[in-house]
Amino acid sequence: MTVSTETSMINLPALEYFRSVNSTFPKNQEILDFKEKGKKVFGWLCTYVPEEVIIAAGALPVRITGYGRETDLADGNAYLYINNCSFSRSCLQRGLRGDYSFLDGVVGGSTCDGARRLFDAWRRYINTPFYQVLTVPRKTTDEAQALYLDQVISFKQNLEEFLGLQITETALLQAIEVCNETRDLLKKLYELRKRPEPPINGAQTLEVLTASFRMPKVNFNQKLKILLNELEHSKVVYNGRARLMVVGSVLDNPEFIKLIEETGGLVVTDELCTSTRYWSDPVIIQEGESAISAIARRYLTNFPCARMYPSEERFDRILALCRDFRVDGVLSQIIRYCVPYAHDFPLLNDKLKTAGIPVLDLDVEYGTSGSGQIRTRVQAFLEMMEAKK
Amino acid sequence: MTTNNKVNSIVQSCRVILKMATPGSLPKSDILYYQMLSKYYTKLLKAKENGNFVAAHTVFFPAEILYAMDIVPMHTEMTTWLVALFLGEQAELLSAGAELGLAAEICSPHRGLAGAFLRGYLPRPDVMLWSNLICDNTAKSGELVMKLNNCPGYFVDHPFQHSKAEVSYLVNELKGMIRFLEEHSGHKMNWDKLAETVARSNQQLALTREINELRKLVPSPFPTQGFLKLLSADYLFPGQPEAIEYLTQLRDELKNNASENKTAGKTEKYRLMTLFLPPIYLMSYLDKLYQEYGAVSVVEPMFNSRAEAEFDPSQPLKSVAEKSYLIPESRVMYGPLTDEVVKYVVDSATDYKVNGALFWAFLGCRHACATIKIFKDALNAADIPMLAVDCDIVDPTINPREEIGEKLGQYFELLEGL
Repeated sequence: MTVSTETSMINLPALEYFRSVNSTFPKNQEILDFKEKGKKVFGWLCTYVPEEVIIAAGALPVRITGYGRETDLADGNAYLYINNCSFSRSCLQRGLRGDYSFLDGVVGGSTCDGARRLFDAWRRYINTPFYQVLTVPRKTTDEAQALYLDQVISFKQNLEEFLGLQITETALLQAIEVCNETRDLLKKLYELRKRPEPPINGAQTLEVLTASFRMPKVNFNQKLKILLNELEHSKVVYNGRARLMVVGSVLDNPEFIKLIEETGGLVVTDELCTSTRYWSDPVIIQEGESAISAIARRYLTNFPCARMYPSEERFDRILALCRDFRVDGVLSQIIRYCVPYAHDFPLLNDKLKTAGIPVLDLDVEYGTSGSGQIRTRVQAFLEMMEAKK
Repeated sequence: MTTNNKVNSIVQSCRVILKMATPGSLPKSDILYYQMLSKYYTKLLKAKENGNFVAAHTVFFPAEILYAMDIVPMHTEMTTWLVALFLGEQAELLSAGAELGLAAEICSPHRGLAGAFLRGYLPRPDVMLWSNLICDNTAKSGELVMKLNNCPGYFVDHPFQHSKAEVSYLVNELKGMIRFLEEHSGHKMNWDKLAETVARSNQQLALTREINELRKLVPSPFPTQGFLKLLSADYLFPGQPEAIEYLTQLRDELKNNASENKTAGKTEKYRLMTLFLPPIYLMSYLDKLYQEYGAVSVVEPMFNSRAEAEFDPSQPLKSVAEKSYLIPESRVMYGPLTDEVVKYVVDSATDYKVNGALFWAFLGCRHACATIKIFKDALNAADIPMLAVDCDIVDPTINPREEIGEKLGQYFELLEGL
């Protein structure tokens, strides 16, 4: 059965499970069960925080996100002012209102102005027992890797002190194994999307991805294996008027992708820190290397965020994804006041246009499900692409 | 990109100001200030003709290194906005930035900067240098400027926190930049010259501290907007004889004014702390308004209150790296907002005996505005009322000046009632 790109009510129990994890987040059953066992839960901000270190400490890393819907951000505005991105304001508001009261610690990185200040305000106004912000270099040179390794080691030591335990090499290796399995399974999920008619659409994929950082990885991996099997045998496939890629600021609301797909486009890949940039590169331990060193290298040299220098690598990897997934057009969605992506846009736009890939730039707010205006613009973009064919 | 160099407008404006000055109408320090500006931009204008190598760089950049290598610096933000303000062409530059596809949420100084290069208002540099000190805008502005000018560039990665490992990393970054500059300019680093600059930086810091001490006096002998000139001296001539001469003269004048109990304005009724920068296109208007209400800015902890330090000329590069951590912009705006930083701001309010604080909420500066609540809470706890005024520091179309004036008027009335 071939269906339009609209998310259907097709029976995929594993996907339904991921939906329930997301719909009840932050206090979902997976997290509550983990806490019930007397274990610690740490919130992290930004993909430059190494989850493996938290897992190796026997704790659960959970990604701090804001409201996955449009909502009044009165507290966020008051504490971070209106000109910080709605992602940081939304996260802070959830923190201030106690949604993350179960967290034992918060770990951030010096990744962008919004994230830095979110961390500052969180530290000052929300009573979470453990805090650490990691200096994240913007380069990936040997010296930058050494500095970042120094930061990750200090994080490990602080965590050990806070939890009163030793994070062993064996525990780190096991954590790497679990996280690499997640990455490998997500890669398999994306491989399915390369098909001319994939068995999963973009909105559904984002539901899987968001669940991946809201529950223990071991449990997630089990469920994802089931989903992959279900998809492999599914008779349902998706097609669309155009194969689209979504790039830009943090995005964890599947409703936004759903709106795009309702217009007839099919989102087949992305360059998002909640998706491809989250899972893309595994931790590879080189000969004679310690686990912590391999973890630090992977996190710094992973598919780069727009904050990193030079921007070329990010652009090249976007172009490679366009080729691999046979992308017809790119949707750049940039949250207002997300400066790193906004600054890159003119340069990326030129690159994509030179490669013959049309680009639609959308100014959005975090959590938006998309407005009528966005729907109209996406429709016009699809029509423009069709007219050029 | 067109060639339409307008840097000459700065030189001409300085000449006019100096020419129109009648004996005694301007303090000698102001004359030195305008001479300093004129010298910097004349050198930039004549750089090509004189066969000089020009390096464009973003704000809070260690220009000491450029002077030691005999390279002509071009401070991109300051140059762009001096040109725009002297010519009244803010709108033109911002619209050029928009033409490039830069979103309105990118801060106006950086949108305008890119626009200035697109329009050819600034001369084409031989290289572009930039760093992430102080924000994502500075971190991201270099690559577009390189593309617009078809020139090579070097990005200095400034670590977020101040540890030994991070200072070493920064020193290494600076070494990389020096190698890059040596390769592209053919100029060798003159380490003796850099050591002399560092020695003068100590002198510059000492003078700044003396000036700040004088500003603690009641009444303050220092004019409200004078701190922008202090900043300019460090932006354009860090550790250079020109900055020392200017600051020495200024210090002497302030001492003299203090001994004669002269106030900066007509009267001093309210002593203010200024957080972030006031709209620079409104300087005359604000000066008038402050005078009318008897308000004087006596301390600007985000910009003009240097930490205690003594740099070691025998380790010049490390000293330059350390300086970048000591500047208040780095401590208050860029680095982690620790309890010590908040305490430093509150203590400044006490030390300078302020009655109130004004936070210029420049909507383009995300990380500064994100501190408004934190500073307001901390200052209020110390009984210092703080007003945040929404504004844009260079774009006059965002808030009408009457709106700003009205808010300030109401605030001064509130202070009156306390």
